[in-house]
Amino acid sequence: MKIFELAFFFLASLLVVLGGFFTVASRNPIRGAMGLLSAIVGIAGLYLMLAAEFLAAIQILVYAGAVVVLFLFVIMLLGPSATSGRDTRSALPRYLGAGVLLAASVGALVLVFSASAGPRALSAAPTGMGTVEGFGRELFTQAVVPFEIAGVLLLIAVVGAVAVARGKQVDPTLAPAPGDDDKQGSDAARAVLTTHTKDVHS
Amino acid sequence: MSSVPIEYYLVVAAVLFITGAIGFLLRRNLLILLMSIELMLNAVNLTLVAYNRIHPLNHNGQIFTFFVIAVAAAEASVGLAIVLAFYRVRRTMRSDEADLLRS
Amino acid sequence: MEALRTLFPASDFTLLAAILALPALGALVNGLFGKRLGKEGVRLMALAALGGSFLASVLTYLLLPAEGKLTWTAWRWISIQGRMGQSIPIDVAFSVDALSGTMMLVITGVGFLIHLYSSEYMKNDPGFHRFFAYLNLFCFAMLTLVMGDNLAMLFVGWEGVGLCSYLLIGFWYGEDKNAAAGKKAFIVNRIGDFGLLVAMALIVYYVGTLRFDGIQSGASSLLQNVKIWPIGNMSSGTLPGFLHFLLPEQPVTILAATAVGLMVFLGCAGKSAQIPLYIWLPDAMAGPTPVSALIHAATMVTAGVYLVARLSAVFVLSPAALAVVAVTGALTALLAATIGLFQNDLKKVLAYSTVSQLGYMFIGVGVGAFAAGFFHVFTHAFFKACLFLGAGSVIHAIHVRIHDTDRSQDMGNMGGLKAYMPITRWTYLIACFAIAGLPILGSGFWSKDEILWKAFTVDIMAVSAPGVSQWMWPSWLGRAIYWAGVTGAVFTSFYMFRSYFRTFHGEFRGWKIDPTWKDPGHGHGHDDHGHDDHHEEHGEITGPVPHESPLPMTIPLMVLAAFSIGAGFLVAEPIHVAPLAHKLEPVFALSSRAIRQREGTEGLLFPMMLPGIAAFLAGTVGAMVVYQNRRGEPERRFATMFPRLHRLIYDKWRIDELYDATVVGMVDALADIFTIADKWIVDGILAKFTAALVGFFGTVLRAFQTGRVQVYAAAMVLGLVGVGWFMVKPHADATVNDEALRRSGEVKLSAAPGLGYSYRWDTPGVSETTFAKTTEHTVKLDPGETKDVTLRVRNAWGSESSETFTLTRPAGGRRGATEPGALPAPQPPTLPTGTIPAERIPDLIQPKGLQ
Repeated sequence: MKIFELAFFFLASLLVVLGGFFTVASRNPIRGAMGLLSAIVGIAGLYLMLAAEFLAAIQILVYAGAVVVLFLFVIMLLGPSATSGRDTRSALPRYLGAGVLLAASVGALVLVFSASAGPRALSAAPTGMGTVEGFGRELFTQAVVPFEIAGVLLLIAVVGAVAVARGKQVDPTLAPAPGDDDKQGSDAARAVLTTHTKDVHS
Repeated sequence: MSSVPIEYYLVVAAVLFITGAIGFLLRRNLLILLMSIELMLNAVNLTLVAYNRIHPLNHNGQIFTFFVIAVAAAEASVGLAIVLAFYRVRRTMRSDEADLLRS
Repeated sequence: MEALRTLFPASDFTLLAAILALPALGALVNGLFGKRLGKEGVRLMALAALGGSFLASVLTYLLLPAEGKLTWTAWRWISIQGRMGQSIPIDVAFSVDALSGTMMLVITGVGFLIHLYSSEYMKNDPGFHRFFAYLNLFCFAMLTLVMGDNLAMLFVGWEGVGLCSYLLIGFWYGEDKNAAAGKKAFIVNRIGDFGLLVAMALIVYYVGTLRFDGIQSGASSLLQNVKIWPIGNMSSGTLPGFLHFLLPEQPVTILAATAVGLMVFLGCAGKSAQIPLYIWLPDAMAGPTPVSALIHAATMVTAGVYLVARLSAVFVLSPAALAVVAVTGALTALLAATIGLFQNDLKKVLAYSTVSQLGYMFIGVGVGAFAAGFFHVFTHAFFKACLFLGAGSVIHAIHVRIHDTDRSQDMGNMGGLKAYMPITRWTYLIACFAIAGLPILGSGFWSKDEILWKAFTVDIMAVSAPGVSQWMWPSWLGRAIYWAGVTGAVFTSFYMFRSYFRTFHGEFRGWKIDPTWKDPGHGHGHDDHGHDDHHEEHGEITGPVPHESPLPMTIPLMVLAAFSIGAGFLVAEPIHVAPLAHKLEPVFALSSRAIRQREGTEGLLFPMMLPGIAAFLAGTVGAMVVYQNRRGEPERRFATMFPRLHRLIYDKWRIDELYDATVVGMVDALADIFTIADKWIVDGILAKFTAALVGFFGTVLRAFQTGRVQVYAAAMVLGLVGVGWFMVKPHADATVNDEALRRSGEVKLSAAPGLGYSYRWDTPGVSETTFAKTTEHTVKLDPGETKDVTLRVRNAWGSESSETFTLTRPAGGRRGATEPGALPAPQPPTLPTGTIPAERIPDLIQPKGLQ
């Protein structure tokens, strides 16, 4: 059992770390999104090992099913322009910064491990921890108010996202002919896309 | 389910967080930036769940994670909407072109 | 009448509120909504306000008791502390006695007539509503001035009329000249107001009240000496040696009453245009003519006389202050009269005449004849308003063709108007007779004669008190003032009739009269503001027949002319027809006790009228000969014979130039110095250097403001790294628990925790070699022993820090608590661990700092 557990852990961790790396390092955002998907699936696996079955399911549903798909939609909506060109500025300061951050992080890790009494094996999780029943009981008793507020937040986010993404719309009642207005709008959008496509191809 | 020490999870979370942070600092593509933020949020989530595992009397860490996921979903939707609006204005995905407020 | 007395009891006479509120309401409505009301509405509002106020004033006057007064207190304004620590309340309170009641009638009555006149005179002015708002506001302020029950309320009105005067002088602010005249009036009045404020402070200090009643009854407390030099604690001890010449052998003192009197008179000299502050009044003629009539002739400028009369109880205590008032009045009367002799501007003549007449009023109050001085205020209000309005009527007629302000007021452009403007001419003539002092009929005769008679006979008894010495009037002073007044009267009648003959007699010199002349589309510019878009040369233009002014302008003229005659019979004391004088008697009952008639003058009342009558005849006949019979030829001859003297008088003795060179010059020089300081110190060092410094930091900081989100995020990360570095750096520190020190000699040290720390405790003799996770350490001390304990802290990266604590146990027996089994020492109050009561600090530890 032990070896399987370790193997599962390392597999999941590999997914997470490699996925994170691809997310950050790939030039093509589609690949980045795929890396993100991999990291998310890996983390879901780790949740399973940490007695958080319900969260693992939520992770897959919300992140993999909704967020990553949303990213993909946007990438596809933007088409080739979603890919930014190569950064033309000097790379040195940026990698220097990354190095500093990395060194500081490694230092912090060392510190944390030296402060703890050393890796200890975990005791068995109590029955019902992280299951839908156990989690749900607590969610709907102790955390019911934040839960409702989270619902309101999501509603606001939906409305806000729609409002922002739609952009400025001409009030059809003010326009001379309502039919023309729509046509003009879509024409404008098409014009934008064509000009941009031309840019990329040229 | 107990042979993997908690520190291992924390190391994975730290590595993931640093990856996200470096990505956020170095990349210029708005979409990648948003993804980096998602990575960092996930790293934090993993830490929360891991610590919840060694204090198993309640589900506080997991519940917190649950809310972080909800907020992250909201953030992703609004963030992507802003990216689209920005694209409509500047016809680019590069974050350093977002400088209209700079005189 | 009785019903009214019940309705308005004397101690709560609320009708005064209506008298005050109506003009205030008029000002408010006309000022805020005048433009929307339209000219008819504004006229109705202004006239109704003043008319209502006038009717209420008449009613008030009728209800006036023979003695005492009607008062109304609105609310307690402030309460200040006097020198004895007593509370001095200052109320918004108003009261009316015979003095202020008469003033009130003049203000509202003449004010109403002038409002009526203005409604026609200003008809075509775009600032019509503004004009009436100011005028109503002025009436409100003037009523506050005369009705105020205490000096503070009087001062409020005093400043209010000053403001209105400023606004109305500069009413046509489009021209620099007018704005400058307004400014001049305001600034000169400020000098006077300073005096009045000082006087108020002195009265509060010495008398302890600002109420007129209280000042009158408590005036005797002003009979003490005020040290005016050296000031403060200036003495040979506090002054450097070379300044010792400043210290007199005896302190210079002055009678408090004299100080108050002189300071009040400084205020009065400013407001009532006396030497040396008279210079603003002639310039004030830049305002519209009705304003000159109301404010700068009939009412506001007499406020100074009113104030001296009101404070008569203070002035009679100080013969010296009275002498200053009287002499200043006499000098002003003479000086202004001489200037008036050669002025060509009709309004300027009247302005200097006003200054001169104000001088007569001050002669009156200065010789202690307060009632006589006030009579002249009363009669002067009618005839001078009539003269100004007549001048306005003439200017109105001339303005049809000559639009330039200066030239339309120049008597060189008038002449022969008696044929075209009969009403104006007759009223002007009557007013001239009144001011020049036509015996019996002219009201000025009675009032001026009374003043001069009182000056001739005055003998002021010095009220004395222990420890004060009073300056006494020399016996010749009264007579000198009398003859100065008579000389002034000659000039007065001369220049008044000069203006009359040059305006109404002879040939018309304004333009060539063409009865068929039609206005070429210009419209009748009935206002006298100078938009000189017609550059016609003198005498070369043609124009219509000069016309008489319409009824709203002539009715006030006729009423005022009637009063110019009739008012004399209210004050004609020599023939014992003086109802006003009887009414005023109680007001001045107290102060008139110090004034008596000089011995040996009893039978001279009628003989001493003769010089006055002679002065009238000399001036009038002289003017008639010079300007009627000989067409002004003698004046021109005088000008060629004594060109420099003529020029000097024509230039008003160049007093303005003198002030420009001295006072204004000094202020300018001071301003220049301050300009330099401002430019180099304030601007150069304070402003520019500061700005440069801020700009420099801005430039530096701007480099960080790249506008890229990631740079900001990187800065945040750097900051976090810095904070993290501080958190994990080893910091050796420990809290000391010495609760058991006195009992067992044990001290417990607890090291402060930190991420990844390990600790080592070194005590003398015992030295650990390894770092451990234990944070607690206990040291045992013998009585009187001292030990150094060093705490070493190492963090995860092996960097170390240390701190040494010196622990001392006091020698035994101090509190007898060192032996086991002894009674426990009184417990110190329970304190959080680590805090040490101040008394025990020497017993314990002093950190020796990081090593």
